[in-house]
Amino acid sequence: MPREEYQVPTTSGGASAGAMTRGATGGERHDSRAVMTYICGDCGGNVTLSKDALVACPHCAGRVLYKERTKRMVQFEAR
Amino acid sequence: MAPSATSTEWDHQFHTLRRQDLFRNPPTDHSAYPALQLAVNPHIESFNAIFRGDGKPGLLAHGLADIGTKVFLDGNDRAGPEGKNRLNIRIKEVTLQKPQVPPSNKLALNREIFPAECRERHATYRGKLSATFEYSINGGDAVEFTRELGQVPIMIKSNRCHLENNSPALLVQRKEESEELGGYFIVNGNEKIIRLLQVNKRNFPMAINRPSFTNRGAGYTTYGIILRSVRPDETSQTNVLHYLKDGNVTFRFSWRKNEYLIPVIMILKALVETNDREIFEGLIGPMGSKAASNTFLTDRVELLLRTYKAYRLYSKSETRAYLGQKFRVVLGVPETMSDYEVGTEFLRRIVCVHLGNVDVTEKQDLDKFHMVLFMIRKLYALAAGECAVDNPDAIQNQEILLGGFLYAQILKERLDEFLGTSVRSAIRDYLRRHPAVNFTSEEFKKEFPGGIFRKSNENIANGLEYFLSTGNLVSPSGLDLQQTAGFTVVAEKLNFLRFISHFRMVHRGAFFAQLKTTAVRKLLPESWGFMCPVHTPDGSPCGLLNHMTHKCKIMTDHVDVSNIPALVAELGAVETSSASTDESVVVMMDGKVIGWSTPKESLRIADCLRYWKVEGTHRVPLQLEIGYVPPSNGGSYPGLYLSSTPARMVRPVKYLPLQKEDFVGPHEQPYMSIAVVPQEIESGVSTHVEYDPTNMLSILANMTPFSDFNQSPRNMYQCQMGKQTMGTPGTAIRHRTDNKSYRIQTGQTPIVRAPLHNTYGFDNFPNGMNAVVAVISYTGYDMDDAMIINKSAHERGFGHGTVYKTKKISLKDDSRTRAAKSVVKMFGFAPHSYVSAAYQGMLDDDGLPHVGRMVKEDDVLCAWHTVTPDYNGNLVNLDGITHYEKYKDSEMGFIEEVRLIGAESGSEPLQTISIKIRIPRSPIIGDKFSSRHGQKGVLSQKWPAVDMPFSETGIQPDVIINPHAFPSRMTIGMFVESLAGKAGALHGLAQDSTPFRFDEQNTAADYFGHQLMKAGFNYHGNEPMYSGITGEELGADIYIGVVYYQRLRHMVNDKYQVRTTGPVVPTTGQPIKGRKRGGGIRVGEMERDALLAHGTAFLLQDRLLNCSDYTKSWICRRCGSFLSVQPTVSQFAPGKKKAPSMVRCRNCAIKLDDSEGIDLTEIQGEIWEDGQGNCWVGGDQTTQVVVPGALKFLDVELAAMGVKLKYRIDRSDEPRKGPMKPLKQISIGA
Repeated sequence: MPREEYQVPTTSGGASAGAMTRGATGGERHDSRAVMTYICGDCGGNVTLSKDALVACPHCAGRVLYKERTKRMVQFEAR
Repeated sequence: MAPSATSTEWDHQFHTLRRQDLFRNPPTDHSAYPALQLAVNPHIESFNAIFRGDGKPGLLAHGLADIGTKVFLDGNDRAGPEGKNRLNIRIKEVTLQKPQVPPSNKLALNREIFPAECRERHATYRGKLSATFEYSINGGDAVEFTRELGQVPIMIKSNRCHLENNSPALLVQRKEESEELGGYFIVNGNEKIIRLLQVNKRNFPMAINRPSFTNRGAGYTTYGIILRSVRPDETSQTNVLHYLKDGNVTFRFSWRKNEYLIPVIMILKALVETNDREIFEGLIGPMGSKAASNTFLTDRVELLLRTYKAYRLYSKSETRAYLGQKFRVVLGVPETMSDYEVGTEFLRRIVCVHLGNVDVTEKQDLDKFHMVLFMIRKLYALAAGECAVDNPDAIQNQEILLGGFLYAQILKERLDEFLGTSVRSAIRDYLRRHPAVNFTSEEFKKEFPGGIFRKSNENIANGLEYFLSTGNLVSPSGLDLQQTAGFTVVAEKLNFLRFISHFRMVHRGAFFAQLKTTAVRKLLPESWGFMCPVHTPDGSPCGLLNHMTHKCKIMTDHVDVSNIPALVAELGAVETSSASTDESVVVMMDGKVIGWSTPKESLRIADCLRYWKVEGTHRVPLQLEIGYVPPSNGGSYPGLYLSSTPARMVRPVKYLPLQKEDFVGPHEQPYMSIAVVPQEIESGVSTHVEYDPTNMLSILANMTPFSDFNQSPRNMYQCQMGKQTMGTPGTAIRHRTDNKSYRIQTGQTPIVRAPLHNTYGFDNFPNGMNAVVAVISYTGYDMDDAMIINKSAHERGFGHGTVYKTKKISLKDDSRTRAAKSVVKMFGFAPHSYVSAAYQGMLDDDGLPHVGRMVKEDDVLCAWHTVTPDYNGNLVNLDGITHYEKYKDSEMGFIEEVRLIGAESGSEPLQTISIKIRIPRSPIIGDKFSSRHGQKGVLSQKWPAVDMPFSETGIQPDVIINPHAFPSRMTIGMFVESLAGKAGALHGLAQDSTPFRFDEQNTAADYFGHQLMKAGFNYHGNEPMYSGITGEELGADIYIGVVYYQRLRHMVNDKYQVRTTGPVVPTTGQPIKGRKRGGGIRVGEMERDALLAHGTAFLLQDRLLNCSDYTKSWICRRCGSFLSVQPTVSQFAPGKKKAPSMVRCRNCAIKLDDSEGIDLTEIQGEIWEDGQGNCWVGGDQTTQVVVPGALKFLDVELAAMGVKLKYRIDRSDEPRKGPMKPLKQISIGA
């Protein structure tokens, strides 16, 4: 939707759609020091970083890491 | 098969397999496109000159010699120099390292930092600058020490870059383009180049007539001689001679942005031990010469010498001491110097610095003396009207200030400032704090280099980074330049044409942009072959921003001219001269008088030198410029001006006597006869012939096919639009992080192109598509430069493009102060925080988006939370709040890349990410396209293929344009391209579209017409066509062919602006400005006029009131004021909302509490109450009206000034005519 469209100001509030769906999922998932895998921009090797780890490739000390393409299914409406 | 050297020869053909091979196997020896590198080389070579690798001193080494030794004294500031200790310090050497990982990073195996990494990390490509200092105390043993001065940005592919001399294969391995050109800097991930600047030709005394010269003081005339004298380190000092009304001459110079005037005789007498007779004869010539009878001259020289007598300075030492005494403070020389020495220093630093700048010998002082004499001579000739002024706006009297040279100048000045100001004040501070300490004491030795240097601002490099990122020059001297800002530009890689044009761009200077006169913008014939006449923007920078022709080179080094003075002497140049140019003319080399000869002889000398230089004999270098200015009747001052210096432009032409390549410069060119084409050669007159007439065009102008058939402004437009095309920025897009980058998905090589297209390798960067274009008025949707594209062509990918946007998200605050270095924010979800499922789904566990995800407006891009270190030093989140960065664009996009950017030291957790978002942009109605002939148009319809007209061979056009686009614009080149493209497509050939290849006898239409005939098509390019709707043959044959189309970057999606109501300015209630914020487009006075003229009152009201500051407002009919009305407050109303709002005029009402003893029963009318509980009666003649909000605003503003506005609501409210009556209180009751 173009953002330029004028929204009629409502006092009752937008009742944000996302907020009430399925409730909160926070908590336990996040404090388990998520380990993610990245690709080193220098040597191309896999780099696993824990949450507070320093950003550097363990093999070559590369300073730029790329996020991998997601393994989730990505599907868009083809038009 | 033995690997052979990569061929660099190209013709205009497709070379599909060869290019395929070049792509798959990048050459390991050298690039296949050397011309590209040559186009950029002036930038790189100029940077290389700062620190040379060939044993000769670099520019900075020359600069250090000029800075010299600084002397500091201890003890009391106010006391004289006697008995104090002396500390002599100088910079011995400055070195610059290649970019490397800092030593604090212990992990990195590969210590080099490559440019690609800096682009990806949004960092600066820089290397460590260090200087070796040498000091001695009281003339004792010299002690050396080295300090680091920070990291300065380094030019890509320079001799301080890791990419220097890399083969294409290696460049690809290092994540660069295979044809990486260099020549720019990377500052904060942006590619910046230092603009080339046109400046006055160096070491050449220019005759100027400038009205502002009279402002110097009483008696000053408009005549002057300007000499831009350049030191060996490429810094310049301008010397000016002014002619006074009485015939006197003053010497002017500016030093640290202040101007100083000195009688010129004082300079002459200070330079050498001389007398009045020597000066007189030096100016006029020996006794008996023709000039001696010129009373105009002799009178003035006599006056010059006589007026100087007032100073009573006779000998060289007296004069120097006098000068030294006057300029001691200005020059900032040490107190220990005697006045005589200061005078010598003055001459060294300021007068004709090109002839002797360091350790000036007596011979050099004599050269300076002769130079000043020559300048005076030229000035008198100018004043007498014997010679014409030199045009400072003509390229003949200009040279190019190269980026590297400017960089060296700034570096030198920073070093000078550091030593002369920062270190000096640090030492003074130290001595003040420790009055007992002097230079010889042990305490000082402990403190000296280390402590004191640390206190002075050592980070010189920071200033250079600032200069490159902002383009602002911060300099105490101004560097003899006329501007302080706008020195650098971002080298946008929108498409390759734009990128390469940045390097060929020459700017006249920001100063001239504000000039009201247009003389500087004029295209002058002198520019031929050096500046492209076509490639300049239209509009405000027109004529100030030029582009060099593709063959124009800029010299970046001195050529060897050691043998020239001997040769010239051998050819008959003598030392004695006369002021009359009929008798003798000067032979000058790089601003040094090397002899005099008769006008006739000077021509012979010039011709001989020219022959030898092309021949390559007698050690006359090929790039020497032999500026022979012939004697004329009141023309330019004659002479033979040789120049061998850097920063000159040169270009190759063929020398006829030897049929060999010669290089000519802009100063000599106006006096030479160079035939454009061989047919033009005039025997006995022409000495040279152009290699190709297209040598006068820039790279871009050469890409316009058949540009000689077009009306010239159309070629200018194409040069503009070529640079705005959505093209291919390069092949290393993966490793780039431009803020915004455009790319065309279905680029093709043009069928019609010049051989230069291949020479410059533009097939590596396709810029458009070949389209079948019919010139027909078919649909009615193609009026006013609209164009129609075939819907099927669109579906096949015609013009499909992509926009990449890179967003850098940094959790570090970007403040320049490096105080806050600790980590206070981290990416990821805060532990135990509430995260909505929608947001959870958009991000990975690390708080960063999935690569490949579609993002819409207000989707989250990443999550972060605050952290604080706990007692173990672990970073923990305390507040449990997750913050998000949102995607704010209204357009849908896809996450293309997510980069995690580590610190250079490798010792920081994730603080910065860079997200690249891909936005697909298929052509939609309103997008802009253009052919290569300045024929731009807007897409107006995607027409279904079934309804498109078709030809007898079944061809449908991809693009339909309106025939009305041609008659007024006369872009015949587009017709020829259409014809050539069609023939090329039919035969499978690329067509050579170089301009100036056809003439009246052999026409292009005939050449391509015959090709078409051979393919079985109409000779003229017309074809019978059939309506796609009715199937009937169209009444006329339609001109249809293949034209290369560019898609321009201006797209409706970035431009459309709609609004009925929306955000407003609070004070007036009118719409705000700006597309980004949802503002309106102003309906200005002219638009208002149009609506008025059309009588569309309703529309006018809608625009100016209803959609703008429509305000309902209460007003009192009785007193006619907006400001006196107020809503009443009801005591009995249950809530605020329910209360029936009544508005009363406070001004017309009567307050009941004030008027004591009123019988409430007698009151007529309702009693109402205001917010304070006061009761009022009356004032009920209020009504609601609609007015513009701005009117109420005006009312309030005027009221604040004590002006009352009274509004008449109705006829009955009209003011009464007649004498004014005293205001009466309204009667209440009886």
